[in-house]
Amino acid sequence: MAIGHALLGLLEGGPRHGYDLKRAYDERFGQHRPLAYGQVYSTLSRLLKNGLVAEAGVEAGDGPERRRYAITDAGVTDVERWLGTPEKPEPYLQNTLYSKVVLALLSGRSATDVLDVQRSAHLGTMRELTRRKADGDLADQLICDFALFHLEADLRWLELTAARLDKLAAEVGK
Amino acid sequence: MTQVISDLLLGVRLAVGGSRKSWGRLVLQGVGIGLCVAVLLLAAAIPNALKVRDDRTDSLNEVAEGTGPAPLLMEEMYVHFRSLDIPGNYVNVRAENAPVPPGLERLPGDGEIVVSPALAELLASPDAGLLGPRFPQRVIGTISQAGLVGPRDLLFYAGDTTIAEREGNRVYAFGQTYERRGLDPVLWMLSLVGIVVLLFPVLVFVGVATRLAAAQRDRRLAALRLVGAAASRVRLIASGETLVGALAGLVFGIGFFFAARPLADDISIAEVAIYPADLLPTPELAALVLVAVPALAVLTSLFAMRRTIIEPLGVVRHQKPVRRRLWWRLVPPVAGIALLVSQAGAIGEKDSRFQFYVIAGVVLLMLSIPVLLPWLVEWVVNWMRGATPALQLAVRRLQLDAGTAARVVGGVAVVLAGTVTLQVLIASVEKDVIDEEKRDLVHNFVALTPKGEFDMAAMKDAVAAGNGVRAVHVLDRTSAKLPDGSTTRVSVGTCSALKAQADVKGCTDGKAYLVRFSRGAAGAESGEVLMVGGRSAWTVPRLEEVPGISPGLFLTPAAAEGLDLSEGMPQFQAELDLAVPDAAEHMRNAIAPYSWRVHAYFYGQDDTAEVELVFGAVRQVLIAGSMLTLLLAGASLLVMALEQVRERRRSLAVMAASGVPRGILARSLLWQNGVPLVLSTAIAVGTGVLLGVMVTRVFNAEVAYDWQGTATLAGASVVLVLAVTALTLPSLRRATGALGLRTE
Amino acid sequence: MSLLVAQDLHKSFGKTHALEGAGLTIRAGEIVAVMGPSGSGKSTLLHCIAGILPPDSGVVRYGDRELTSMSDRERSELRRTDFGFVFQFGQLVPELTCLENVALPLRLSGMKRRAAERAARDWMAKLEVDGVADQRPGETSGGQGQRVAIARALVTEPKVVFADEPTGALDSLNGERVMHLLTSAARETGAAVVLVTHEARVAAYSDREVVVRDGKARDVEFVR
Repeated sequence: MAIGHALLGLLEGGPRHGYDLKRAYDERFGQHRPLAYGQVYSTLSRLLKNGLVAEAGVEAGDGPERRRYAITDAGVTDVERWLGTPEKPEPYLQNTLYSKVVLALLSGRSATDVLDVQRSAHLGTMRELTRRKADGDLADQLICDFALFHLEADLRWLELTAARLDKLAAEVGK
Repeated sequence: MTQVISDLLLGVRLAVGGSRKSWGRLVLQGVGIGLCVAVLLLAAAIPNALKVRDDRTDSLNEVAEGTGPAPLLMEEMYVHFRSLDIPGNYVNVRAENAPVPPGLERLPGDGEIVVSPALAELLASPDAGLLGPRFPQRVIGTISQAGLVGPRDLLFYAGDTTIAEREGNRVYAFGQTYERRGLDPVLWMLSLVGIVVLLFPVLVFVGVATRLAAAQRDRRLAALRLVGAAASRVRLIASGETLVGALAGLVFGIGFFFAARPLADDISIAEVAIYPADLLPTPELAALVLVAVPALAVLTSLFAMRRTIIEPLGVVRHQKPVRRRLWWRLVPPVAGIALLVSQAGAIGEKDSRFQFYVIAGVVLLMLSIPVLLPWLVEWVVNWMRGATPALQLAVRRLQLDAGTAARVVGGVAVVLAGTVTLQVLIASVEKDVIDEEKRDLVHNFVALTPKGEFDMAAMKDAVAAGNGVRAVHVLDRTSAKLPDGSTTRVSVGTCSALKAQADVKGCTDGKAYLVRFSRGAAGAESGEVLMVGGRSAWTVPRLEEVPGISPGLFLTPAAAEGLDLSEGMPQFQAELDLAVPDAAEHMRNAIAPYSWRVHAYFYGQDDTAEVELVFGAVRQVLIAGSMLTLLLAGASLLVMALEQVRERRRSLAVMAASGVPRGILARSLLWQNGVPLVLSTAIAVGTGVLLGVMVTRVFNAEVAYDWQGTATLAGASVVLVLAVTALTLPSLRRATGALGLRTE
Repeated sequence: MSLLVAQDLHKSFGKTHALEGAGLTIRAGEIVAVMGPSGSGKSTLLHCIAGILPPDSGVVRYGDRELTSMSDRERSELRRTDFGFVFQFGQLVPELTCLENVALPLRLSGMKRRAAERAARDWMAKLEVDGVADQRPGETSGGQGQRVAIARALVTEPKVVFADEPTGALDSLNGERVMHLLTSAARETGAAVVLVTHEARVAAYSDREVVVRDGKARDVEFVR
């Protein structure tokens, strides 16, 4: 799921404790919906269980204990697989896609590749719809057109994002 | 009002624009319109030039009536030198206040002479050695422009105190206007039509020149229309743009006119040479040209833009062209041919209706060219349909807009047809004249006509003693009145004397001959009673009709029985030995001391060289004129072709991209330029030859063709097509580059 | 089987670098969408692989012939015989009737007028524009004009059809109709189509897409 991959992606920059992770996530992706602590720790424990992260020591200090987590090799592979897999083309994907692009940029991977893969997947679906349209009746055509126009809107957003990647990279890198 | 002016000014700004390209366009437009303006100004100057010449001719006329003794006695005499006729006056000044003819500072005294610049030049030239003895006087000055009609006129005034007063040589003053027969109003109107027809290509070119870069301008104006300028304002702005070009054209035209004017006195034919100063348009005509050209330019461009003005996007959809109707176009040529055919061989009739028919026929035939040509171009183009893709492209393009091309070449065709007609006429006339000259060459008599009282026997002896003179015969001449009131000349002499004037084969004493003025012309008839010398009646004997060099009755002494010759004057016929070179000139020099008293005319003078010179010059002028017209047409075609390439840029680029070889595109341009021009040249040559033949037939002359001149014209039009196409190729090359595919 | 292969193409216009190492492969009969933002060099890539523009460097191979070493005349001839072109607008000769426009490529290859026009009429029927055969392009609608242009591109039964924004000047409905007719006609004759477009819905008529970005083309294989 997206949050897990997002936390993994954030951990690629170096080990962090849970509170840090929550702050980083909120800053990058949680504009209107800050992540709850409980969600952070339950996600981390799931990742821990799956061997995608490992504990990297406890930091002593005031207040609650601060356990640090680091990404494992398996974790890196998982992030990579996630970034390389297009989302199922359907409407309202921008949140996930946006996270992917930002994480790719953060981790020094190619965000263009992320977009290209997604475009390909979108176009694949659109081709299918176009084919169905050619064979179907008017109702089919209208339904397919609805999906086609929405997918096209996604793609246009993708193109626009691709065109602004440099600017985004500069902002993310700050 | 200020709105109007500011709109016009906006147009001016758009036209000048400041970029180098727009200046270049302006100059091109200026030169194009300028050439037309210059031609129009020249045409406008001709009436004035003719009037000035007439005025000077009048100012030279002597006034023979006055009170008291005549202060000046003047004897006119033509001095003939080879092919040149030199008019002159021998004057005897009898009073201090004797009138001085215009152009002279003072009257020459005895042994003095004033000559025209052309005569001075002739006397100074090396081959004038045989002329010198006839002008022994001391040259005391040259005649200025005021005393000459044209700059190359030969003329002299020589002083001679031996001139005795007699009837007809008294002069009291100079400057007398004689009634001139004005041009028949019908003829005047017809020549006006002719001039308009000839100026047609000029007007067409004005229209075309204003359309330079019109596609661009149409886009610009459409854009103005799009941002909300009303149609009337766009028209104003467009007028402003056009006016700039037209005004530049006026400036260039006036410049060209004054630059070309000094060439007028270099014209090699003396009779046509004009003083440059005489070549000045009348104010009315000049004003007409200066107003009409800009007006025409503005009207053409407005007319051409009428569709763009309606469509703010400048989108002009190409509609299927309307087929032109034929029947009414056939009316002028049929009527013209009918008129001319009906008059064939009718030259003898002195009816003014005859002239009207002939000229109307000619004008109708000429007019039928521009009327028929658009239809014909379209018909041919439809019929061609396009055997090859290149031809098809050209033909289809012409079908959409054959009108413009046809108008351009139609104007040219008229001028070319006129030229070819004149070529045929001139060739026919020249052949006629030269044939006659050749026939005359065997004629070996010099007619010596004495004037006044002097010792003719001594003169006759002087002639007889001359080098190359075989014998001197005497003809006694008097005039007689026919019953119908007309007069005829009667010459009496031996058969060998008559031979000098008429073709009197088998002449014996007792025969009488009649030479008519022309075939079928009136003359004395046998049995008619003539009044001779106003007193004595004489009955005409049986006549034999023969050809001769001057009309009249020619009688052997026996046939002239009872004829009163006391009022007559003798004429001497010097029979020359043509083996002696320049025998006539030597003989004339032998009687040089008699100066004005003996007029010596050599009928057998070899004028062929002179004739050829004159006709050659006329032909050159014709060719030069038609070349200029062709050049104008070529420029028009070029402008149109360039415009079209610009307009078709995208479609040309796409064609090149889809693999249409450039050669095919270039060939389609060639066809597009060539079909109308070649067609019109063919028609022009056809009409010209037809017209030439018919007019020559009307004048009953033998038809001759100037194939060389005609071929020059046809060749020039082919060269022109090639040149126009070649000049279009660079822009075609640019348009067909891949960059032409880019959207603007 | 690779029909058209372009490798490492470079092309500059003055200081603008339109192509910087672009390459792509077109297989026989496939429909490839060339996508990318404006100014990415899509059209230049199309012009180069179609032999309209010679690239500054790089190789374009068509079958076993090298386009980049052919003369202008040879390339012209190849374009005429083996390629077909459809552009956004303004490609029909305004003076010729639609039928004559379609017949033009055949006539250029030396076919007699009658035969060429018969074949042209068949193609116009296939593209459902036989009704405007005798009209001039200016008298037809945009969609009709594009379909006439497609008929003209296909009439020589080319191996490759290059279409540069063929629906760019059309509304959605007309655009779809044109794309449908173009792709089905091309599939019928087995012609490959190189379709330059920036519209995803148009690109969706392709088998796969190539993305051009900053003068480089990325060949994206068909993913299902």
